[in-house]
Amino acid sequence: MTDKARHRTTVEMSRSVPPQVEAGTDLTLKVKVACPAGCDLRGRLVKVMAPTGIVVQRELIGFENLTNETDEFVVTAPPQVGEYAWNVVFPRHELKGVVHEESALTLTSRIMPHPTSIAVWDVPSPVVVNSSFEVKAGLKCLVSCQLPGQLIAVRDEEGLQVGEGKLGDTPWPGTSALYGTKVNLAAPIGEGTYSWTVTFAGAESEIPHEDASAAFSFRAARPPDYKVTVTVVEEDSQTPLQNVQVRLGVYRALTDEHGLANLDVAKGEYDLDLWKVGYEMHPKTVNVTESVAIQVKAVIAPDKDPDDERVWM
Amino acid sequence: MSTRKQKSAAVSRRAFLKKGATVGVGATALSGLGSRDAEAQNFWDMSADFVSIGAGTAGLAASVSALDHGASVIMVDENVDIGGHGMCSGGQVHLGGGTSNQRKFGVEDSADQVFLDWIRHDHASSRYSDRDLVRAFADENAATYEFLIENGVRFQDHLTGPTAASTVPRQQRSVQWPVASERVTAYPTRVGSGLVRGLEASAREKGAQVLLRHKLTSIVRESPSAGRVLGIATTYEGRTVNIRATKGVLVATGGSTSNVDLRRTFDPRLTEEYQVAGEPWSRQSGDGEIAAMAVGAALWCTANQTAEAGSAVTKTRHIGCRWGYSSLIWGEEYLSGSALGKRVFERARAGGLTVSDWHDAILVNRIGKRFWNERDSRYDYYAAALAYTGDPSKLNGGGPIWAIFDQDAVVRNDWNPHPPDVDPDGYFFSADTVSELATRIANPYQSKPIPSAVLQATVTRYNSFVDTGKDLDFQKPTPRHKIQRPPFYAAWATPILHDSLTGLRTNVKTQVIDTRGQVIPGLYCAGESQGGFAQHGLGRCLVFGRIAGREAAQNAGVA
Repeated sequence: MTDKARHRTTVEMSRSVPPQVEAGTDLTLKVKVACPAGCDLRGRLVKVMAPTGIVVQRELIGFENLTNETDEFVVTAPPQVGEYAWNVVFPRHELKGVVHEESALTLTSRIMPHPTSIAVWDVPSPVVVNSSFEVKAGLKCLVSCQLPGQLIAVRDEEGLQVGEGKLGDTPWPGTSALYGTKVNLAAPIGEGTYSWTVTFAGAESEIPHEDASAAFSFRAARPPDYKVTVTVVEEDSQTPLQNVQVRLGVYRALTDEHGLANLDVAKGEYDLDLWKVGYEMHPKTVNVTESVAIQVKAVIAPDKDPDDERVWM
Repeated sequence: MSTRKQKSAAVSRRAFLKKGATVGVGATALSGLGSRDAEAQNFWDMSADFVSIGAGTAGLAASVSALDHGASVIMVDENVDIGGHGMCSGGQVHLGGGTSNQRKFGVEDSADQVFLDWIRHDHASSRYSDRDLVRAFADENAATYEFLIENGVRFQDHLTGPTAASTVPRQQRSVQWPVASERVTAYPTRVGSGLVRGLEASAREKGAQVLLRHKLTSIVRESPSAGRVLGIATTYEGRTVNIRATKGVLVATGGSTSNVDLRRTFDPRLTEEYQVAGEPWSRQSGDGEIAAMAVGAALWCTANQTAEAGSAVTKTRHIGCRWGYSSLIWGEEYLSGSALGKRVFERARAGGLTVSDWHDAILVNRIGKRFWNERDSRYDYYAAALAYTGDPSKLNGGGPIWAIFDQDAVVRNDWNPHPPDVDPDGYFFSADTVSELATRIANPYQSKPIPSAVLQATVTRYNSFVDTGKDLDFQKPTPRHKIQRPPFYAAWATPILHDSLTGLRTNVKTQVIDTRGQVIPGLYCAGESQGGFAQHGLGRCLVFGRIAGREAAQNAGVA
């Protein structure tokens, strides 16, 4: 009986495995198997084993510089957070009197919850004390998970939950994967500037996600007593000026196509400040003791060439 | 001019160098040989009386002037065409002293008034200048304007000013060059093509030879620190081309703002991340200064570079692209009119989103924090943008500056947040949340990611200033717009370097002076590579270029 030739083998990864992998995401692998005798092992299989059993079997298809290689293939990280290991095994096999011994490599990675983040928009300011108002909030998983039905909460400065919303079925228009919702809120009972927070509890989701939060601010003001109507016209032509930003104290509005902006304000003295690129409008102080109409004349600002300040460029 | 290269030039060059020449960094010295040596003759591939290193504004003016005074001329330039920064400039020429254009518009002026204006102690653009040079500039001002007219440069029918240190109007703008294929940009205010093409046409008609894509490697002097400058060494398509100059070599390479090491000689804050006006069309490489210093040249009036006047540093106007200077928009719509323009756009890749109101964005530094009132464009803003951010791994320079804004700003400005208006390859990013946006920003100069929590906190705090109408951090007047509606954007808005306001020391004849205060025979300098006079722009380039060509042509030279 003739002794069979025995060749040891080694398993390596063509690309390193990241130390951290998000739960449930795909991990791309490529395996190299080498025999010190430089044997061509194409056609043999490599197995990737997980605690739950064989995950993938992949054929060695490349042979270059005396090294055999699989193509790139994907394994999926488990949905649980924590340390995780895969064993990459090249099983023993025999062919034409040559035995290639089994070799293996353990890949370890920490399975991480998915990072998340929040946007809050369409926050009215000021809101009227003790009234209801609405904001929009959206949650984004940085791995782009679908998030319909997930819950987000709104908390006040003491951390008390003051509202809740369930994320919609599809990404918010204009975004790639931001799932949003409208949240109805009750305004504080006192005047002032407030900073509330939208939160998401990631641990409560099916696939583990990180917690996320984003603060938003708003002013709360007394109920309006009067209506202030601001009309802005261009001084020379007397034509109404649209999209002028009107600010009367904490109250803000944009002029419409008729140059009109309506503000419902509480009784008091306010600074009236107007702004539109290309125009000059003088601020003034307004004492609101009744509903009032204010006309503002805008002067076209001198056309400023960005090169004017330069002598040549 | 003549071409004297022998068929055995390569062998002759080796023998010649073996015999006596030494080659230093940026300088080639023809030790002990002199120009009459037979082997030295074989060193040269070409020869002319006057050789200008650079075919930009100063080099063109000098070449025409030298030709007018009987010299033969070769201009070399590393670029694919002539013009340098002047080609894409606004064509605004600051010349007075009693020009015909000033008389036409009823402006009284004199050389004395030009001099008095540009040595003013109460203006940072004039305070630190060399008054000998300013006197020469003033005396040649009016004549240089008429020189341009005589050589076919056409100006628009107006005169503006006073600007900078001038007390009377002295600024006129050239007419855009009419041949679209010979411009790099069709943008309405980028009309410098008319100035440089006009001078080029005159120079060529008078016999100048123009060698493009010839990059300077050294200035050839008889010995590294003594003797006459004999010519220059260049490379063209990988081979050496040595050009002899019997009367003079002019350094007109356009300044040093593109050269990180050289610009940091004057201001160590100007590390690699900063934009340079005029790029990617042309570079202010500092090649001429470095080569001249290698043969002993001195620098002069370096304080001008940091005098915090004029446009040494400028603010980005077009964000989200690599280069966004003033009205110099490398947008496809302005560049597609010519092959030159297409070539520039291929390198620029995007024209940027034009900011007309800095209420529409906040500016954050490399660690995600606001650093100044975004609406400020003074040097206080630049100082803050270039400041230490607290990151010990980046002590000099302030790192990238990013404009952060939201979808509402896009709608207000009718911006297109997609190529070709923005460059998503490192200069423009978008995301669904502010926190995610921070993770998206990746750029060669952003060595570490912006911390998501920091950027989100910055935006949240700024939004609270919009509620109250008061910027408690940097006093931006009445913050107008919250950054709240997704998607969110980050656009490259790092400051732009513009002027080289210092450079080589010259006398009033533009002869380069060495570190011992002696003239380097045969070496001249004009334009932004010349030190001593901090006036921004084309005026001083033209005046001293014209002087240089005349003076070189009139010197005795070598046989």
